[in-house]
Amino acid sequence: MKNTYLITGIAIISILSVIALLAPWISPYDPAMIAQDSLLIPPSAKHWMGTDSLGRDLLSRIIYGCRISLIIGVIAVGIAVFLGVILGSLSGFYGRFMDTLIMRFADIMLCFPTFFLILAVVAFLEPSIINIMVIIGLTSWMGPARLIRSEILSLKEREFIQAEKAIGASSARIIMRHLIPNAIGPVLVNATLGIAGAILLETGLSFLGLGVQPPIPSWGNILIEAKSTLGIAWWITVFPGLAILVTILGFNFIAEGLKKIIG
Amino acid sequence: MGNLLEIKNLKVEFHLDERVITAVDGAYLNIKENEVVVLAGESGSGKTITALSICKILPRNAHIVWGVINLAGREMLCLNENELIKIRGKDIAYIFQEPVSFLNPVYTIGEQIIEVIKLHQGKNKKEAYEETIDLLKKVRIWEAKRVFQSYPHQLSGGLNQRAFIAMSLACNPKLLIADEPTTSLDVTIEKEILDLLLELKNKLKFSLLFITHNLSIAQKIADRIFIMYKGRVVEEADSQELFKSAKHFHTQELLSAYERIGRI
Repeated sequence: MKNTYLITGIAIISILSVIALLAPWISPYDPAMIAQDSLLIPPSAKHWMGTDSLGRDLLSRIIYGCRISLIIGVIAVGIAVFLGVILGSLSGFYGRFMDTLIMRFADIMLCFPTFFLILAVVAFLEPSIINIMVIIGLTSWMGPARLIRSEILSLKEREFIQAEKAIGASSARIIMRHLIPNAIGPVLVNATLGIAGAILLETGLSFLGLGVQPPIPSWGNILIEAKSTLGIAWWITVFPGLAILVTILGFNFIAEGLKKIIG
Repeated sequence: MGNLLEIKNLKVEFHLDERVITAVDGAYLNIKENEVVVLAGESGSGKTITALSICKILPRNAHIVWGVINLAGREMLCLNENELIKIRGKDIAYIFQEPVSFLNPVYTIGEQIIEVIKLHQGKNKKEAYEETIDLLKKVRIWEAKRVFQSYPHQLSGGLNQRAFIAMSLACNPKLLIADEPTTSLDVTIEKEILDLLLELKNKLKFSLLFITHNLSIAQKIADRIFIMYKGRVVEEADSQELFKSAKHFHTQELLSAYERIGRI
């Protein structure tokens, strides 16, 4: 059985990760270097993806932007999954009061439209990369938490958990070593999709000027600059857009492939 | 010789949404050291719940209302969770009906046995590994290394049950509670498992509490038999005596069922 989705997805994301890791060595120019003599040059042999209105090389900026996007996506989802798994398993395992408390809190969080919640928080805090990762993480743990909880609710009644109790394993041990590894599958699928979501969220925030601040290049803030020159320089819009498309596609492919494996 | 385990007047209730169901009502039981006691009865008579009460690993909605459970001089119902954790798996071990579903599907057999050894004996990895291989050989698994690395779903029911027995004996328990350990196995494997349990019992000197609804098994292995019916122990007898002169009507029912099947 060939899992084409998974293989394609992993290939795309591995290539992007290598590009992100090697950014300083493979990008042809300094992404922040302003060149007065080469403004808005269309894609050519010298500048593969052209230059922007300040004469900066677009390819280099997209390569550095890839770094930012992947880091934000992975770490934000890491925070969300970490919180979600802990809260969800406590909620599912102990039930009763703990369950009510955590799940009602999750419901409250889910009532806010995430994007506007983030906008409101960013308006008060300084928009930096770390802040954005933390905020995205803190506002998206509810999905993983609910998934883990529902898995654990059925797993904890399974017989091997009773057997674990019979050999003298403590509750903490049962949760960490026996329930979470059995329940983590759907969360992994969800997390991979979540990375794609977080990258899109970051791009959206940066596009609104509340995300990654210039001169640090991110795909979102390249697009803001592209907006004003859309009529005369198509490449500044198209290439970052394609980069976002490919990345999101890559993560969605992985998620789809994992779903097939986990079932 | 004193009793290793003594249960007196045990009452266990299940609290459902609105109703209260009494699963065990005034059960009693005693097991001497190095003795095989069979607890028999129809399904739903409270055998399993009585056995699970000993270590307090009952389902969440079950409550022990009253009773005395005394294990080697310790009052089990007065112990708190932390003290119980040290007893479970060490002094008392369980074997269950369906070995595959009682083993964790995401760990290999070896990892699960090592976990018990580490929990109670604090040995390092290498010692635990060697002891696990020894245990697997003790329960007559010849390909111990292959079974060690296998996941439960890769093995047959009989092998899984052997591995489970190895796991439960990892810490030399004083009492082994076997809850219908052969019900899910076919007859030839059943005999092998029963022989193995008796042999290990004589070698390692533990007491065995064997739960079954099958009186032919009871006759084969038991020193004494307790018959449960609707949450009560209705008859207690030496194994030979019971088959000659059953007093309670439920015992007679069980016996006649067993004889009828035996004749076919």
